[in-house]
Amino acid sequence: MSSFKRKTPSGRATLPQGTRLSPFSTSTVITSTGIPSLDDILGGGLPLSCSLAVLAPDHHTAYGELVQKYFVAQGLASGQKVFLIHNEPLRFAKECIWMPGSAPSTPAQSSATEDADDEMASQHDDKIKIAWRYEQMKKFQTTVSSNSLNDDLCLTFDLTCKIPDAIIDAARQSAQLVLIGVDTSEDAGGVIKQIEGLLSSSASTQAVRICIPALGSPHWGDLQPSTVLGMLHTIRRLLHRYPSACASLSLAPHICGDTWGGQGWVQKIGWLTDAAISMSAFSANPSLVSLFPSHHGLLQILRLPAPHTILPASDKHSTLRGLSSAAGTMGGSGENNLAFKCMRKRLIFETLHLDLEGGVTERRTTPSSNAIVLDAGIMHDTTPATVSATGGRKGSLAAVEVELEHVKDLTVEASFPHAVTDSMPDLSSPSPAKSKKPKKKVVFHSERPDLYDF
Amino acid sequence: MQFPAPELVSPRRLLLVTDQLQAPADFLLHRFLHLHLKQTKTKCIILAVSDGLERWKSVASKANVNVAQNDSFQFIDVFDHHPPLADREGGNTNKSSLRTIYDLLSVKLSDSQVDDQTPLVILDDIASLEWLGFSLLDLSRFARALRSLCVKMNAALVVRHHIVTPPEPDALLQHLLQLCTYHIEVRPLASGRSGAVSGEICVHLGPSVKDTQEHLISRTSALQYRLTEASAVFFEKGTSTGVL
Repeated sequence: MSSFKRKTPSGRATLPQGTRLSPFSTSTVITSTGIPSLDDILGGGLPLSCSLAVLAPDHHTAYGELVQKYFVAQGLASGQKVFLIHNEPLRFAKECIWMPGSAPSTPAQSSATEDADDEMASQHDDKIKIAWRYEQMKKFQTTVSSNSLNDDLCLTFDLTCKIPDAIIDAARQSAQLVLIGVDTSEDAGGVIKQIEGLLSSSASTQAVRICIPALGSPHWGDLQPSTVLGMLHTIRRLLHRYPSACASLSLAPHICGDTWGGQGWVQKIGWLTDAAISMSAFSANPSLVSLFPSHHGLLQILRLPAPHTILPASDKHSTLRGLSSAAGTMGGSGENNLAFKCMRKRLIFETLHLDLEGGVTERRTTPSSNAIVLDAGIMHDTTPATVSATGGRKGSLAAVEVELEHVKDLTVEASFPHAVTDSMPDLSSPSPAKSKKPKKKVVFHSERPDLYDF
Repeated sequence: MQFPAPELVSPRRLLLVTDQLQAPADFLLHRFLHLHLKQTKTKCIILAVSDGLERWKSVASKANVNVAQNDSFQFIDVFDHHPPLADREGGNTNKSSLRTIYDLLSVKLSDSQVDDQTPLVILDDIASLEWLGFSLLDLSRFARALRSLCVKMNAALVVRHHIVTPPEPDALLQHLLQLCTYHIEVRPLASGRSGAVSGEICVHLGPSVKDTQEHLISRTSALQYRLTEASAVFFEKGTSTGVL
């Protein structure tokens, strides 16, 4: 029998609701996570039969849960089944977001203009003279909003709108939304058994979303690292068996780091799930906040889904990551650094670029005190050895003198995007207005007419 | 550039493939499988821990290797023979399930013990077994048992191990290094991900093997690769722009 058979498209006449065939790999069925920029990073959407782990190591924010709220809302809105596993699942479901224009007091037009105002706030003056050779280039884009491919699939959600109770009740009635409670009396294995039972009893024509917003929170009891890994592995195997389901889990902040799980913990999570991302918010590190004022945290991609191919679809087709132009052609640029920000109405993932002021146009002769604190802060985040040595102190200003000795000996570990750490020492100055040291600098003034004014 | 060199995967050898999360080595395992099925047409047994059968099948079909109807391809899911999370009660169940896998494998290998047959056994991922609760002692014994079984049955063995603490070898890796003939190391580029180069490959000789220069690729002259849909393209350092 010849092994060369003509590939006929798989006879999948009807796809489950809310999903589509991945345009980049015809054997993969993808569905939206609710956030268009996250869909782009994942390569179009989250493929069915894949599990996504969202780590949010910051204790003071709940970005992981926010991503899960989008996930649940998108599932309910597209008519897919949603299994929600939480210690108070009904309360979590009621806190989910919904599409704008559903409540009579907020008409759709006003929300659209407010949204536009949000974005105008950071736009530069349109009257800038653009050199003629650049006029044809499209505007600099840092993020992907819902594009035409995804329009019918990824609905626009508004963070200011809560999901109407009627929708939740209707979903529970029709068994579209299944709430599974977690408490300390039942262990992780019991939860998995419940999920398995529900999966085996649901039809394969309907896509199923499994959502665990706070895996590892105190209500799960005293979890051991091996139990958490076992759960991730078992969920992944369940998804292989029931390929019309997908899962999205958010780990509780305290279990996201090496201090809880042991060395290499984050990597282990990446290996045992199909896709893993880490959203490290800036709130713990004030120097990063001043450095990137328009973002709320960095996004680190640990693993991307590739259920039917070797190369993840995102590597070639993600506009945000920016590898597509380089793949396979002359030269190859590194990928873009990614960050996220939570605006009033939505959460978006963007490419991260240095600000105008803090960039290479400003020349310093000595490193600023902020840069040293910044380096020390970053070093703390990335090297577990120093965390244990200095007792886990973050880059606080009071400890600058001590940290200086360590900074020179450290080698930067691979857990932080390399491009960002490489650019940190090159950074001339974050230049906050309140820097006390007088410094020599050459600054580019745009209002002065100069040689380059055509 | 061709990797692996034709004689690298040969019987009675243990090839240890290590990788990191930023540069996974599954493409290499798939490549070994496809080359083996195409060239020698003998049995190929996959002991899988994390990936499912679907992925092996779809990647093989993209590389024009028919795996679905191929009798020589056999897939054993390690956790099919292992009780689920809730029922485990400690080390004994782990040991017995490893024993079950070993017995199953020896049955399958002896089935095909016709002369000149050189089966290929791929253990995808012994590191996950350790993370999921199997003890280090059990796993190192299992690896040794697998090695001796493959030597007896004239089979080639490929074991994949994930490195999560890059500069320092963990205990299981040290055990495996002592057993292996060649250590194929897949590493990410030190400067991060790039579109043109996905990572690099080095081949080291196992510590207990007689000194030879054959097949070795040192770290300084590592072979770089770029992933494609179903396989990878290999090239020497610095020649990536010349690759079509």
